Amino acid sequence: MKLLDRIRPAIVNGLRELQANKVRSLLSMSGIILGVASLVAMVTVVQGMVGNFRQFVDAMGGIEKITVTREQLPKEQEHLAELSEGITMRDVERIRKTVPLVDNISPEARVGFERVIIDGRETSTYVTGVTADYLPVAKRWVDPGFGRFISDLDVLNMNDVIVLGSAVVPELFGANVDPVGKVIKIRGRRFTVIGVLNNIEGTGMQIRSANSRSSGGSWRWRNSGALIPVSTAQAKFIGNDRLSGLGLRIGDADRLHDAVEQTERTMLAGHKGLRDFAITTNEQTLEDFRKTEAAFKLSLGGVAGISLFVGGIGIMNVMLASINERIREIGVRKAVGARGSDLFLQFLSEAAVISVVGGLIGLVVSMGIVALMNYILMQALPTGAVATLDWLIMVQGLAFSVVVGLVAGVYPALRAASLDPIEALRHE
Amino acid sequence: MPALIAIRGLRKAYVMGDETVHALAGVDLDFQQGEFVAILGPSGSGKSTLMHILGFMDTPTEGSIVFAGQEVAKIEPDLRAWYRSNRVGFVFQSFNLLPRLTVLDNVALPLLYRENSDPVANAAAAAVALERVGMSHRLDHRPSQLSGGERQRVAIARAIVGSPSIIFADEPTGNLDVKNIDRILDLLGSLIKEGITVVLVTHDLAVAEKAHRVISMRAGLVQEDRTR
Repeated sequence: MKLLDRIRPAIVNGLRELQANKVRSLLSMSGIILGVASLVAMVTVVQGMVGNFRQFVDAMGGIEKITVTREQLPKEQEHLAELSEGITMRDVERIRKTVPLVDNISPEARVGFERVIIDGRETSTYVTGVTADYLPVAKRWVDPGFGRFISDLDVLNMNDVIVLGSAVVPELFGANVDPVGKVIKIRGRRFTVIGVLNNIEGTGMQIRSANSRSSGGSWRWRNSGALIPVSTAQAKFIGNDRLSGLGLRIGDADRLHDAVEQTERTMLAGHKGLRDFAITTNEQTLEDFRKTEAAFKLSLGGVAGISLFVGGIGIMNVMLASINERIREIGVRKAVGARGSDLFLQFLSEAAVISVVGGLIGLVVSMGIVALMNYILMQALPTGAVATLDWLIMVQGLAFSVVVGLVAGVYPALRAASLDPIEALRHE
Repeated sequence: MPALIAIRGLRKAYVMGDETVHALAGVDLDFQQGEFVAILGPSGSGKSTLMHILGFMDTPTEGSIVFAGQEVAKIEPDLRAWYRSNRVGFVFQSFNLLPRLTVLDNVALPLLYRENSDPVANAAAAAVALERVGMSHRLDHRPSQLSGGERQRVAIARAIVGSPSIIFADEPTGNLDVKNIDRILDLLGSLIKEGITVVLVTHDLAVAEKAHRVISMRAGLVQEDRTR
């Protein structure tokens, strides 16, 4: 008899037993149901979060970005504060000359949170002075048809031009208005809009805005803001030649550490040994995310593992009870010709049926849990993160429950298979 | 014609606590094809042990059993299962039908464990066997919906569904009323016309008298073997 031919009646039998003992089967399944539900729901939510982390790091310029920011002098150098001239365009030139690993240098001069006005409409947004190198460093672009970005010439001539974030445009101009060429006012100065930055939308894990007036959610800050030439910002708003920081983009992410080291030396040399700057990379952020991810996976995996283990015990328990009740049946089956292996398969199949049905119910429950968590997240955070179920995780959860069911079924099935038919038939 | 079953020097000993119980203490017997035999004896006489060994549910401690020309006293469990499925049928005092299966599925059960088992063919064979015992009108009933006599007829259908060489009936009338006792015994007796050897195990002399040959056992030995 082919194995499949032997398993088929065993599965039919398993379903029949399940139907005959609905309450008991449901109770024995509860562990598996909860185990699979928590496993699938938790993995889904964690994956969603991790996906979000990755995007976040990428939105920060990715792993190949080095950030140089202004920093307080350390205590031992405090007496030299007057010598500190901050980060300036001279640093840009020095790094460009001495750190060949760096492909692009984006100096940034923060103007601040400014009111932007046009024809009676106004909004507030963060204005920053940048150069043409902002785009490759920030991994942004201006979509064709949406104007152009700030050029070297704009910087050289201190032009009063401005590039807007995509979220700012509807706030100022309303929907479906091409802002390129329009003139807006900041602190009374007139700026010509020359372009609109590309719109960033979260993918993988969907990000929604609670007041879903505009899409973008927590990515809105990336789509907000306005950029003007760095020279314009310094000369017309800030009043000195200091920068708030530099963004460096290196060509080879593997040489990140070399680039950091070289940048630090160049900066120190240029600043006469003063540590009035800090160098950070996204590597640490990514590493933190990785650690968080691992911690989540371990703890949630542990919880799910324990519930599945308990589920396995539940199945084993109910199988042993079922076998005790059906000793005579086992005797009869053996008397009419069933081998030990036939009964082993029969009871193993019953355990598998319980775990498959339990696993399927668990998947349905997990959908409910994910929906509930999404609802709670939406309530708690205005820009809630929404996790979506992945079929692969569901398949894995189901497979896991089947393995648990099979493992839990082995011992009871062995017991059934090894019963002596004569003793079994005498059993009352 | 050689005997269907020939047993020589059959012994079975159990260890119970400090004591060794000799359930069978050296039994020699021959069973012919199509014989209607009753094994009679009080409890503890060894008749059930003999039935279990001949029915391939147990193995002897000593001795030889030749079944249809094959020595089968010391065969492997899986081969014993094959014999139970293909050569032997059992009828029990308490019917031993599976409560959750229909009458038809109960009767088809022995065929389930055969090589190349086919559900459709099994059901057809079970229907034929049920017709043979006059239970065709109850195919989809559960055992609990049947009377005692009906249940035993279903059990007999289950015993004959695999066309066995020999049927062992262990006190088949112990749970039945007078009217059904005769009916069941007549049914069992009629099977010999199909060449099936019927072995009736009982402690009831009146039941044993229905058989053509009565073997009386006592203390693990054959006391009397008479053919009427």
